[in-house]
Amino acid sequence: MQAEQQQYSFEIVKWFAYMAVVYLVVGTGIGVWIASELAWPDLNFDNPYISFGRLRPLHTNTVIFAFGGSTLMATAYYIVQRTSGVRLWSDKLAWFTFWGWNLVIIGFAITLPLGMTQSKEYAEMEWPLDILLAVVWLAYSFNFIMTLSIRKVSHIYVANWFFLAMMIMVTYLHVVNSLAIPVSMWKSYSIFAGVQDAMIQWWWGHNAVGFFLTAGFLGIMYYFVPKQANRPVYSYRLSVIHFWALTFGYVWLGAHHLQYTALPDWTGSLGAAISLAMIIPSWGGAINGMFTLSGAWDKLRTDYILRFLIVSLAFYAMSTFEGPVMASKTVNALSHYTDWTIGHVHAGALGWVAMVSIGAIYHMVERLWGTTIYSVRLVNLHFWMATIGTAVYITAMWVSGIMQGLMWRAYDDYGNLAYTFVESVAQMHPYYAMRAAGGLIFFLGACVMLFNVTVTIRKAIANPSEKMAVAANI
Amino acid sequence: MTKIQEYFHTDWSAMTGNDWLGLLLTVIVFVLMVIVYFWVLNPNNKDSLEAHRTMLMDDENNAENEDGRK
Repeated sequence: MQAEQQQYSFEIVKWFAYMAVVYLVVGTGIGVWIASELAWPDLNFDNPYISFGRLRPLHTNTVIFAFGGSTLMATAYYIVQRTSGVRLWSDKLAWFTFWGWNLVIIGFAITLPLGMTQSKEYAEMEWPLDILLAVVWLAYSFNFIMTLSIRKVSHIYVANWFFLAMMIMVTYLHVVNSLAIPVSMWKSYSIFAGVQDAMIQWWWGHNAVGFFLTAGFLGIMYYFVPKQANRPVYSYRLSVIHFWALTFGYVWLGAHHLQYTALPDWTGSLGAAISLAMIIPSWGGAINGMFTLSGAWDKLRTDYILRFLIVSLAFYAMSTFEGPVMASKTVNALSHYTDWTIGHVHAGALGWVAMVSIGAIYHMVERLWGTTIYSVRLVNLHFWMATIGTAVYITAMWVSGIMQGLMWRAYDDYGNLAYTFVESVAQMHPYYAMRAAGGLIFFLGACVMLFNVTVTIRKAIANPSEKMAVAANI
Repeated sequence: MTKIQEYFHTDWSAMTGNDWLGLLLTVIVFVLMVIVYFWVLNPNNKDSLEAHRTMLMDDENNAENEDGRK
């Protein structure tokens, strides 16, 4: 009996899932603050530790590594156990990843505001934290792979393929991009220089998006959409094509971040061409997720968790169309260096990554604690706040970005620039205020989720049901 | 030389070892991708692949109704 009750190790999943919600609140909270600093620069208070330049990497690292990473670890540990029919290969290694990952988070939360940075986008952490992150990531990957190796079912479900691709590629990308020569405990210099440094940076930068923020979250999508809808995935063949096309194709895209730079022209063309080709598998995947609801669309009327998951796929489809368009040289000439890029990133980050994560976490909370969510009305409220907040944010950035691009390229009859840079900055103010408002709405929605999830867990622990006893032990 | 020919013109003699390695990897990956597409879309493989569609439903039944045991 005892052996049966030890089927799954879900305690680690619970901790990662709850911390993901906490980090969602923290990460979006910092985002709202720095968005406000851009709209109202007095909020910098002439204090370097809370200036935009130092808090911006803290925001990106918190939402990517703290929120995104915790979500990926919770869901990967959950899915691999469920689909393999075995508990994790090593509980101790899993707990090492939990404490190690949180140590990395504490580390960058201290060092980045102090100005200790490698100045590489989405890879700002200095070398001691880079090494710790690599060790923890390898432990996480090893535990996942070993759990697969002892599975009780012959087939490895496709969601696990996406997680595996993420683990392998992020290890490779993180190690190569972070290669540096330390000159002191908290200062190092990249071994790459000049245009090679730029190429390596964006090889990492775009593949962090492609494998950390896309492949891993597609693994989440391929598990939680069918589970929440209680229907099999629309087409398994499409999911296989989606996986291989994404895995083969994504690694070539990075150069589209460097159009019209010192990089050879053909690399940008290659990046743009493959970006456009990637619309096919990306839309195939989005359609696959949405069509899983075929014949059961009515579930969207009542199932708010499912709404999060399906709307995330709409944003996934939208941003994977928008990205390739922006990668093309003609559009890139207008969009690059403008707020349009920020809008695009947040359509993916808020609309796709955060929403699919939120749906997955609500789903897991009910099963892990063997209960129902404290307030379905609050989940509904959260859904609308997240959707409206995202829409306001990205609309503001689209308008702002296109206006910036047009102002910067405008010439008068004599060939002089029609506008000074500061004039374009002044024109941005209403949109920056609107962006802060959109972010605030999304942040408040995250606070509602934290409250709802916390109360749900507390009530489940205070009044354990028979279902919870089973859930706690399996 | 037409504009298209000029665009695709390659100075093969200037290719370094890294260039050849990159070209080789690109071609290998492209060929592998084509093979995967043919394999997945081959009607003969449809049933065996689509058989995994219901795996999660089975997993739910096993995990939640029988303590996750097969």
